[in-house]
Amino acid sequence: MARLFVQLKLRQLRNALIGSTAARVSFIVSTVFAVLFAIGTFIVLALFRGTYSVELTSVVFTSIAFGWLFAPIFAFGLDSTLDPASMALYPVRTRRLATGLLAASATGAWPLANLLGQLGVVVGLAHGPLGVLVALVAVVLQVLFCITLARFVTTGMAGLLRSRRGKDLAAFLFLPVFAAYELFAQVVPKLASSGKLTQASFAGFDSWMRWLPPGLAAHAIQDASDGHPGTAVARLAALAAVVVVLAWLWVRMLGRALVTADTSTQSRVRARGRARTALPLGRYGLRGTLAARFWVYQRRDPTSLIFWGVTAIIMVVVSIRLILGKTATPSALELNLVIGGLFGSAFAGIFHANTVGLTGPPFAFEALALTGRRKLRAYFSGQNIALVAIGAPLLVAVSFALAALGGHPVFGFAAAAEDLAGLGASLGLASIFSVTLPYPMDKRAGSPMLVAAQGYGGYRFAGILGGLIGTGVLTSPLIVAVALTNADPAAVRMPVLVVCGAVYGLALAWAGVRIAAIVAVEKLPELCQVAIASKA
Amino acid sequence: MGDIAIDVRGLQKHFGEKQAVDGINLEIASGSLAGLVGPNGAGKTTSLSMMTGLLRPDLGKVFINGLDVWADPVAAKAVIGVVPDQARLFERLSGAEMLEYAGRLYGLPADEARSRAAQLLDTLDLAGDARRLVADYSTGMRKKTMLGCALIHNPSVLFLDEPLEGVDPVSGDVIRKLLTRFTSSGSTVLFSSHVMELVEQICDHVSVIDKGRIVATGTTDEVRGGKTLQQAFIDLVGPRARGGEGLTWLGSSSS
Repeated sequence: MARLFVQLKLRQLRNALIGSTAARVSFIVSTVFAVLFAIGTFIVLALFRGTYSVELTSVVFTSIAFGWLFAPIFAFGLDSTLDPASMALYPVRTRRLATGLLAASATGAWPLANLLGQLGVVVGLAHGPLGVLVALVAVVLQVLFCITLARFVTTGMAGLLRSRRGKDLAAFLFLPVFAAYELFAQVVPKLASSGKLTQASFAGFDSWMRWLPPGLAAHAIQDASDGHPGTAVARLAALAAVVVVLAWLWVRMLGRALVTADTSTQSRVRARGRARTALPLGRYGLRGTLAARFWVYQRRDPTSLIFWGVTAIIMVVVSIRLILGKTATPSALELNLVIGGLFGSAFAGIFHANTVGLTGPPFAFEALALTGRRKLRAYFSGQNIALVAIGAPLLVAVSFALAALGGHPVFGFAAAAEDLAGLGASLGLASIFSVTLPYPMDKRAGSPMLVAAQGYGGYRFAGILGGLIGTGVLTSPLIVAVALTNADPAAVRMPVLVVCGAVYGLALAWAGVRIAAIVAVEKLPELCQVAIASKA
Repeated sequence: MGDIAIDVRGLQKHFGEKQAVDGINLEIASGSLAGLVGPNGAGKTTSLSMMTGLLRPDLGKVFINGLDVWADPVAAKAVIGVVPDQARLFERLSGAEMLEYAGRLYGLPADEARSRAAQLLDTLDLAGDARRLVADYSTGMRKKTMLGCALIHNPSVLFLDEPLEGVDPVSGDVIRKLLTRFTSSGSTVLFSSHVMELVEQICDHVSVIDKGRIVATGTTDEVRGGKTLQQAFIDLVGPRARGGEGLTWLGSSSS
C-alpha cells in the first residue's frame, strides 16, 4: 500500500509537468524554493555554533514545525492524498491506508528539503560522535513529527476544509503569512541592524520552546554533544512518544473521517440582519442597491477582507522603517507617511481594478439589468460608495496610528489628505481599468486567492503598474502641496489639505465612473463573456 | 397564441475555426412553452446567450416581442428573464437577499421586491433556507434561486438553459407547474434540455439543434412524427457512441 501511495504522489508531481503552463511553472517554482529552503536551512543551522546555538536551533526547528502545521491547509485542494474523502471509496483497511498516506506525505521535494536542511545540525549544534549520532536520530524524529502533525491537522480539519467556511479560514491564513513575511523582510533586518534584536533575544523564546517536540530534538543533540547521553536519550524517547501518540490519534481520526459525511452542505450559517432589511441601502435606488450588494460582499467575502488587510499591511511596511529608525526629520517623516498613504490608497484601487473578473459569472446576471450609461454609472459609483465606506476610515486610521507611533500624531492629517485623494484617484482608475482591461480570474487548487487566468498575467501587471503610477501622478499636486506647506501652522494647513484631498478625490472618482460607463455601455456583451469565463 | 414572441433570423457565431451556430432561424409564438433540444456541443447555450443579449452574434437578428435585442438591448432585456446553465448567483448573499437584489436591479420598488422575493421563496420551497448564504445551497436550490431571480420582474419571455438539471423530482414538479402556469397567462418560455421525456411532456413546440443548425422545428407532435421524441431525436442527429461494444469483461463477476 505504501508503495502504491508513493507512486500516486510521484504521478501527481510528474503530471504537474505535463499539465498547463501555470501548473508547470508553479511546480518548477515550488521545487526551486524547496532546494533553496534545504540549502538555506542547512547553512543557517550549520552556522549555529557556540553560545546560543541550541536556542537558535530550537527556534528554527519550531518554525519549521509551524510551517508544516499551516502549509497543508493551503495545499489541501492541491494534494488529493491529504483528503481522506478521496480514499473513502476504496476497500482498504484504515491501518494500511494510514501507512500509505504517511509514505505519500514523506514523498516529494519539500519533505526531502525538510530532512536535508535540518541535517545542518550535524555540522552546527552537534559535536563528537555521540552528538552526531543523536543529531541524525533527532532530525529523523523531527521530520516524522512534522509529517504526522500535518496529517493529524489536515485529517481533523478535512470536513471543515472541504466546506465554504473552511476554505474561508484557509484564505484568512494568507494575512498572517503575508504579515510575517513582511515582518521578516522589513522589520527584523531593521531591528537587527539597530542592535535591538540579538542572538540573546532568542534565549527567552527557548525557555518555553525547549519543552515542545522540536525543542526536545534540539536539546537532545546539545545534551549528547555535552556528554549527557542519558538525558539525550530521555528527550529522544519523549519525542518518539509524542510522534507515536500523534500517529495513533491520527489513525483513529482517519477511521472516523472515512465514514463521516461531507459538511459542505450542512452549514447552518445564516446571513445576519433582520429579514425586513435584507439589503441595507436597498431603498435608495439602483445606486443604493448596488452599494448594498458590494457592501455585503466586502463584509462576507474573505477575498475582500484580505485585500483590505494587505492594504493596511502595505501602508505599515512603507512607513515602519523610518518610524522605527527614530532618526528622520519631522518633514521627512510626514512625507513618508504621505507616501504610505499613496501606496495604501493605490492598492485599494488596484485590488478592485478588475471588478468584472472578480465578480465572475454573476456579473452576467447584473448585466441583464444594467443597460444604458445611467445604470452603469450607478453600478460603478455604487461600488465606490461601498469601497470608500471601508477604505477611507481604514486608511485614515492606519495613517493616524503610524503618525502617533512616529511621535507626531498631527502628521496623520496630511497623510489622511493623501489617503482621500489617493482613494478617489485609484477607484476612478479602477473603474476605467475594469472596463478597458477586463480579464477572467482563476481559482487554483491550493491557493486561497484569485489569480489572473492563464494568458492574462500582462493585464494584471498593467493594472498594478497603471494603478500605482496613475495614483502617484494624479495625487502629485497634493504631495507637492504637503511638502511646500510644511513650514506653515498645522492649524491652518491641515484642515485645508484634508478638505482639498477629499474634494479632489471625489472629483477623480466621479470622472472615472463617467468614463467607465461610457466605455462599458458599448462592450457589455464582451464584459459578460469575461465574467462568465471567470472562476471567481 | 398568434403573435411571435421570439423571432430569430440567421443567427451565426463562430469561435476561432469552430462554427458554433450556423445560421439558425426560429419563431416561437407568444404563450408557447418551447423546447430547444440537441446533443452536447450542438450550440444550444451559445444560441440562448445570443438571444438574451449576453453574447454578440457574428450575424443575424433576434427580436423579443418585436424588440431588436441587439439594437435596443435596454427595452428587450426589460421583458426577458434568463436562467443560465451555470449558476450566476452571488454566493455571499442569502437566498432572500439575492432575490431582492434581482428585483431591485430590474427596477422594482424595495417593498415590492421584498414582497415578491418572499412569495417566490415560498413557492420554490426555499423559505426555510431564505437566510442561508447561496454558497451553502445545493445545486437544485441554486437552480430554483436562479429561476426566482428570472421571474421576479414578471418577464413576458423566459429563457432557461437546462432548468431541471440537479433538481429533485418534487422541486422539478413545482418548476414544471410554475412554467405551465406562466405560459397559460400568455407569457412565453424557451428552454433547452437533454431530458426528452420532460420536453415531450410539457412543451407544445420543439426545435432540434445539431452542429449549430436547426434540423427540425414545429409542434411537438410534428417533430416526433408518431414516434417518441427520444427516438425522433436520435433519428435526426444520429447515434454518437458505439454502445459499449468491446467491453467484453463488463458484467462478469469473475474479475
